[in-house]
Amino acid sequence: MMMIDNNLQAQSEFQYWFPVLRRFGPDDPFFASGNIERELLAKQVALDLTEEEKQQLRNLDDADSEVSCPIVGCGANLRSLVEFEDHYNARHTASCSVCSRVYPTSRLLGIHVSEAHDSFFQAKVARGYAMYECLVEGCGMKLKSYKSRHQHLMDKHNFPSSFDFFKKAQPSKKERSKKNQRKQHHATFTTENEEGSGASAMQVEEETLNGLVSAVSKLTTSDSTPSAVSFGRRHTRGLTFFPRAVQRETKK
Amino acid sequence: MADETTATPRRDPIKNPVGNAAAQRRRQNAVSVGKERREALFRTKRLCRVGVSSEMDVPVDSDMMIEEEQSILEAQTSSAVEELKTAIAFQGKGAVQKKVNALRELRRLLSRSEFPPIETAIASGAIPLLAQCLSFGSQDEQLLEAAWCLTNIAAGKPEETRALLPALPLLIAHIGEKSSMMVAEQCAWALGNVAGEGEDLRHILISQGALLPLAKMMFPNKGSTVRTAGWALSNLIKGPDPKAATELIKIDGVVEAILRHLRKSDEEIATEIAWVVVYLSALSSVATSVLVKTDLLQLLVERLTTSNSLQLLIPVLRSLGNLIAGDTYTTNTVLVPGHEITDNIILALIKCLKSEHRVLKKEAAWVLSNIAAGSVGHKQLIYKSEAMPLLIQLLMTAPFDIKKEVAYVVGNLCVAPAEGSGRSSLIFDHLVSFVRSGCLRGFVDLVRSADIEAARLGLQFMELVLRGLPNGEGPKLVEKEDGIDAMERFQFHENEDLRNMANQLVDKYFGADYGLDE
Repeated sequence: MMMIDNNLQAQSEFQYWFPVLRRFGPDDPFFASGNIERELLAKQVALDLTEEEKQQLRNLDDADSEVSCPIVGCGANLRSLVEFEDHYNARHTASCSVCSRVYPTSRLLGIHVSEAHDSFFQAKVARGYAMYECLVEGCGMKLKSYKSRHQHLMDKHNFPSSFDFFKKAQPSKKERSKKNQRKQHHATFTTENEEGSGASAMQVEEETLNGLVSAVSKLTTSDSTPSAVSFGRRHTRGLTFFPRAVQRETKK
Repeated sequence: MADETTATPRRDPIKNPVGNAAAQRRRQNAVSVGKERREALFRTKRLCRVGVSSEMDVPVDSDMMIEEEQSILEAQTSSAVEELKTAIAFQGKGAVQKKVNALRELRRLLSRSEFPPIETAIASGAIPLLAQCLSFGSQDEQLLEAAWCLTNIAAGKPEETRALLPALPLLIAHIGEKSSMMVAEQCAWALGNVAGEGEDLRHILISQGALLPLAKMMFPNKGSTVRTAGWALSNLIKGPDPKAATELIKIDGVVEAILRHLRKSDEEIATEIAWVVVYLSALSSVATSVLVKTDLLQLLVERLTTSNSLQLLIPVLRSLGNLIAGDTYTTNTVLVPGHEITDNIILALIKCLKSEHRVLKKEAAWVLSNIAAGSVGHKQLIYKSEAMPLLIQLLMTAPFDIKKEVAYVVGNLCVAPAEGSGRSSLIFDHLVSFVRSGCLRGFVDLVRSADIEAARLGLQFMELVLRGLPNGEGPKLVEKEDGIDAMERFQFHENEDLRNMANQLVDKYFGADYGLDE
């Protein structure tokens, strides 16, 4: 039997799989279905429950297992994991038809499309217009560059500096081979400049993307700062960004 | 008294056609999602429909309760209580018989249906009267009927159970060893209902000294008294304060009685005793460390192997789980790979995994995951057993809660224990085997779920695959199973840990260079 010894640094952030004994208190929800079964079995003779009725009663317990959508800013309550899947596919898979990136809301998708694929957008940026919208719905602020918008998010909305809207996406196999081909045909295009000013529209799309993507992939959301609006998720520590308006009612 | 009187009521065929419709309506009532009804069904209290002795009269056609009769029932109850009051006050000849008759009438009214007129009884002032009927020196029949009434009153709603407070010390007194078995049993039943209501009532009962006499009722070899006492005891020690559990294990004779019943007694008694063990092992580390040094584990494994009664299997399985989870002694010293008991427990757990019952599958997977968290020897034992194909299949097709537990088993089987400095290592063979069997898809599904714990498991397993498979095969496999997709979900996920984990994996294994050298 072969073992690979992997030296895991203690300070590494990834929470590696670590086998531990798992223990539950007698009242833990883990044991709930067994406890219910106990009572059902004990009373079934008295109540003359049929199998169907028993199943109905067991399912009632299942129905209590509500799930809240964990996508930031959504907070939708679903009645089961299956419903969650449906909800997620319906609401949080706004995908870009150009680059296939997926965004959790159509507003963010729209912002992405403008900033990444619209040459007119870039043209206006080049001419000094404030085109970069604040990501927080309802703010309305527009900034002149990706960087300054990032700064605004940090200053005004307490975003962590590591937050990254243009996270590096994983291009599909098709795109990777396309990229390979292009790299061979074009002259080396070294613009790592985030704004890609002066570049041609099509290439702006690609290289801007790459530049942004690599810069942005180093940013991650974190909870170092408290948020102005909380979505009342009991399990969250601090928060990140809120694409929905501030009016969203909190649910504790 | 007969040896094995059962307390479960016998149903006589309903002769009256009206009765059929009534019974059906009642059944529908019982199942309708009315919160109160459902709560009554799931309560840890039990109504006493047939007395503790076969000599008592069994109500015939007792279930023919039509809705409209409820108000009649209530009126009858009020007058029965009035009768009782009169009877108690009466001093002349035949006073005792008068009291017994009045009590009997009230008892019948309180036993006829699943929803007896408890509220009316209390409102009419039954409780103080019943407490009076429990006074020392009273005839057995009187004590029995009074305790029966109190039992059913205590089976009701929380406030109804609490109404029994004035009578508690007397009930406790009558479970003493001088009482007749039937009286003791009926009182224990009432106390079991009270204990099942809530932590504060348990605390009161314990401070009034209920634990010791109730524990002693477990000592006889057989009888419904043992069963009722076992059930009541399980309600009494269920905590969350572990003190009662710890005190119980220290009582002389308790451990011996537990072992004796689990070894020899019928399944009904063994079931309730097993529940006592469940709470002992879940709450008290003292109890756990005492129990694991007896042959209890052996007995539990035997029961798990041989029984087919779901009622018994649930607490037996859970006891095993608690004993394994609660004390490393179990896995390190008792369930050593190579010992017969270890082979047997794995076989028994396999039997549970194959069961059609969801609870058994889920909790068996949990127990197995804890064994798999043991030494490399344990992991190899499970890996070589018949559990493997079952685990793989369950991971792919089982309902979510079972899937999650199986995920723990699989992951634990692939990672060896850390030594000293906190390093853990991959068990390459196991990992490859699972991946080749198609397990990765199951883990990717977990990553997609809304459950944080499950998502974390999925990501952690994916990391093992990404890191552990040779020749860069890991990333390719993960991509094939839409793993990248699943991880990208976390970009906008609320949970920072998961976001970080997903980001790290994507950055490390699916960087800009990914796929370029194809």
